[in-house]
Amino acid sequence: MQSSTRRNLILPLFALTVVLQVRIDPTVADMNKGRKTPFAGLSTEFILGPLLGLQQAVAGLLWVRADEFFHEGDYDAILPMVRMVTWLDPHNLDVYITGAWHLAYNFTDSSERSDRRYIPAAQKLLEEGDANNPGVYDIAFELGWQNTDKIKDYERAHYWYKKCAEERKGMDERGELTKPVPMFVWHQLAHSLARLGRIDECIAVWRKALMMSNELVRQDPKDYSRRNVRDSERHNLELTLKRKFSRYTHEIDWELDSKRSQGVDPVTGEPRPRDSYLFLNTAEIQRKAEQYRLAGEPVPPMAIGQPRPPAIEPRWETSFDVRPTFTADKVLELKGRFNVGDGARVTIRLHDETWRPPQLKAFTFDINQDVTLMQDQHSVRQGTWGRKIDMSKDPKMYSFKAPHYFLVFEFDPRGTSPFVHDRFGWSGEGMTDKKYLWEEKEKNPPNRILRKVYRITRAQVLRRAPITEADVFPTAKYVELQRSAAPAAE
Amino acid sequence: MAAAVSIQGLTKTYLDVWTKTEIRAVDNLSLEVEEGEVFGFLGRNGAGKTTTIKMLLGLIFPTLGSANVLGKPIGDIGVKSQISYLPEEAYFYEGMTGWDTMDFYARLFRISEPKRSERIKQCLNDVFLDEQAWRRPIRGYSKGMRQRIGIAQALINDPKLLFLDEPTSGLDPIAHAELREIIVNVGRQGKTVFLSSHQLPDVELTCSRVAIIHRGKLLTTGKTQDLTSGDMVEITFSGGDGALVEKLKAAGADCEKKNGASRIPSVAPSKVNDIVDLIRGAKGSVTAIVPHRRTLEEVFVDTVMKAGAN
Amino acid sequence: MVTLAIAKQTLEDMLRRKILLILLIVAVAMIALGPSVGFLSPRESSAVLRSLGLAVILLAGLLITVLTGIQVIPTEIERRTVYTVLSKPVQRYEFVLGKFLGGLFTVFVMIASMGIVFIGVLRYQEGHFATEMIQGIMMTFFQMTLLGALAIFFSTFATPVVNFFLSFGLFIVGNMSAVTESLLNNKNVATRVIAGAVHYAIPNFGNFNIQNKLIHPQVVIKDMNVFIMQNIAYALIYSAVLLLLAIIVFDRREV
Repeated sequence: MQSSTRRNLILPLFALTVVLQVRIDPTVADMNKGRKTPFAGLSTEFILGPLLGLQQAVAGLLWVRADEFFHEGDYDAILPMVRMVTWLDPHNLDVYITGAWHLAYNFTDSSERSDRRYIPAAQKLLEEGDANNPGVYDIAFELGWQNTDKIKDYERAHYWYKKCAEERKGMDERGELTKPVPMFVWHQLAHSLARLGRIDECIAVWRKALMMSNELVRQDPKDYSRRNVRDSERHNLELTLKRKFSRYTHEIDWELDSKRSQGVDPVTGEPRPRDSYLFLNTAEIQRKAEQYRLAGEPVPPMAIGQPRPPAIEPRWETSFDVRPTFTADKVLELKGRFNVGDGARVTIRLHDETWRPPQLKAFTFDINQDVTLMQDQHSVRQGTWGRKIDMSKDPKMYSFKAPHYFLVFEFDPRGTSPFVHDRFGWSGEGMTDKKYLWEEKEKNPPNRILRKVYRITRAQVLRRAPITEADVFPTAKYVELQRSAAPAAE
Repeated sequence: MAAAVSIQGLTKTYLDVWTKTEIRAVDNLSLEVEEGEVFGFLGRNGAGKTTTIKMLLGLIFPTLGSANVLGKPIGDIGVKSQISYLPEEAYFYEGMTGWDTMDFYARLFRISEPKRSERIKQCLNDVFLDEQAWRRPIRGYSKGMRQRIGIAQALINDPKLLFLDEPTSGLDPIAHAELREIIVNVGRQGKTVFLSSHQLPDVELTCSRVAIIHRGKLLTTGKTQDLTSGDMVEITFSGGDGALVEKLKAAGADCEKKNGASRIPSVAPSKVNDIVDLIRGAKGSVTAIVPHRRTLEEVFVDTVMKAGAN
Repeated sequence: MVTLAIAKQTLEDMLRRKILLILLIVAVAMIALGPSVGFLSPRESSAVLRSLGLAVILLAGLLITVLTGIQVIPTEIERRTVYTVLSKPVQRYEFVLGKFLGGLFTVFVMIASMGIVFIGVLRYQEGHFATEMIQGIMMTFFQMTLLGALAIFFSTFATPVVNFFLSFGLFIVGNMSAVTESLLNNKNVATRVIAGAVHYAIPNFGNFNIQNKLIHPQVVIKDMNVFIMQNIAYALIYSAVLLLLAIIVFDRREV
């Protein structure tokens, strides 16, 4: 080969590599979605790895270390590692889930109250993980769960469970995304609808889940875990139906139902229970029968029974009230009344006047340490409730740097227990309060909550002045303020 | 006879990076080596011998001038199959056995089996390498054995022209003598040998023609015999009367006496008859007339010293 | 034939090096000990085992490739064996190609040995042959092919020490293709130009990293086979460019 030929070959060949690179780029970008190569804060051996293209291995080792820190209780050390690991290896689902759990649950004051300033970060981390791993149900499910369990934002919880159930997939034994999501995702979706008071939709989801489980049992009748799942769905469906009718209309005739469960399931060999109801009139029977037909199921026997008023009537006066006093610097004592069954819980929240639920653009665990945000709950016993909340021991969490604060007392029927729902309904239809009832009309269905708000000063927190009823702040104005943008720092 | 190597004005300069001065390793060198001769290329360490050979082999490139090897310009790949090279202090792949080393080099000459094995066997025998050593790694070879392998690999292609760079340096006397013998044998086979060396006795014994190079410049070149044959003769005599010394002095011949014998160390051939007549006329008797013969070493030192003085 | 003879000699010579043998033994030991790290959840333990195995193969392959690539030609010159080779009817390009191929054979033998142990360990641990790992190991090999060509190119004019840092440095920069790619859309024109130059001119080693896909099955690569073929083509063509450059430089090189 002549040397001139060699020289002439170089440019065309090089151009070819550029063309190939252009074609390779999109695939690589797709694969590396969410990955970053961090340099700061890593020790040398951990820097070298990512530089050499060993992101996953370094992430794995870092995560093993983080696990050790967790067992040593050194939670602060875990956060930066979570950030590193998810940057290095954006496809490690457990790291997002565990990291977000740390953020939301494990930072507490000396009385085990969570530092809720970390919650937006926890949510953002999970959202980032979900965006980096589209298709897998795990992180979407965790988002639903955190919104249910920790944040009590049932709208968000429903949003994620629905996404999870309808758009996501599970992994098979070979790790490929071929499996439908586990049935418990559908169960949580149904529960989240119940929490939103959307009972008919909730029932529809239970029915759908039951149909899916029936099919699963039919495929493998020997699989007892499938049967258990199926049975619990049937139980939940029946329970929800029963509650719906008892709370809002009238009861199901369970006696009739048991009499009619004589059929035998040809697949499982089990007695087949049937939905059987008593209705007020033929119109309701026809409506019910139509639902069965739409669901493609045989219409069970139905009959007109004895009328009975719904459980939520008439509305119950709760006489909700509270008297807050600072008995020492930053030590809040509460004496409250609440005419409700034992175990209903009142939420107490104290925060800077300017604090708003933050909308994070990107995940960060650098929270504003100057913000004071305290949230607690207390159960009602025999019509009263009360609690001493000592915020003096945790100046890092409760800095009280702002001049004004809102002190909020709240009861939301959607988060409460079934026995309270039995009287108040899922959305508080059965309760009322002369002073503090607040209707969240923007919700569908509307929700009726109880809320008392004080606007207090720093001086009052430090006991320079007492809190009086003159400090009570109109709920309407409070809601409006919370929806508005946060004012610039004072 | 055609020239095996023909060099015209070959120059190689290096730039000294530190002093920014130009170093002329080889300076306007012109030389002819006839086919079939064993040619000695002499010079001190750093005189430019190795640089010249490397240019002839195309390992480095001349700054100026040109050269032909076996009638082709340097770097011609076809010529390379007819020449061979033993570098100074030849190094080998230490882990390889003698046989594998030969096999490797034979492959580079594109010699295929079964001819390859035959050639290897023959060459190893030609250099008297002990057959037991053939299958041992070169790591365990003595210096003499290494040089033998070096020569053997240089013979593998049955070359017309061999470049041997300091083949005998650092060897013990016996190995030295044996290697010299091998080179002489190669020369007897009619191959042209370009022998670079400062082992002057070797060159004197093996080379028919030499060139002396100093600081890159060619000082002299010629037949070994011509260079070493002296112009003067030495005359020794005994007896002679008292006036003889004075007469001889007047004739330009200084004489020295020792143990009753007199010696005139240096007499020009043209004056030998006159001097002998003088001695005999003074009743002296001439005991020996010996022509001067300088060793190559003396010639070399003389030439180089003279060049150094300039 | 001459090229292959040189390649064979180079392979044998490299395989006799103790340093490479030690590297191989350490790497194989690390792969074999991999399962003892997995104490997390089964999913994580599998991911850690796979990522560690692939990482060890990459790291050892990297050291072997760089050590081989920076050495094969300079050692010849330093040991003066090059004189006996190049004074024979051997074209300089045959010499460069032979040295490159010999180094590549060495890397192949090393990576293949580690790969076999790795897949064996996975088989023992998980009960089935993780054949998809072959893709990852193969990609590592082609990545090393490109790196080897780069080291050979540098070795035609740089000393081994300089070459070591050059090759490693470019390997690191070339691994940041995700960064340079994202900078292609930067608002600043100068940044775009520089990022583009780096992205397209420097061998893009990051392309070959499919560990993500192999460790986390939920990562889906569209047209995996096409992607792999594109990468192999990229490695081979870019290596050809580097070798041509190496030959051009070495042709003028005085030894």
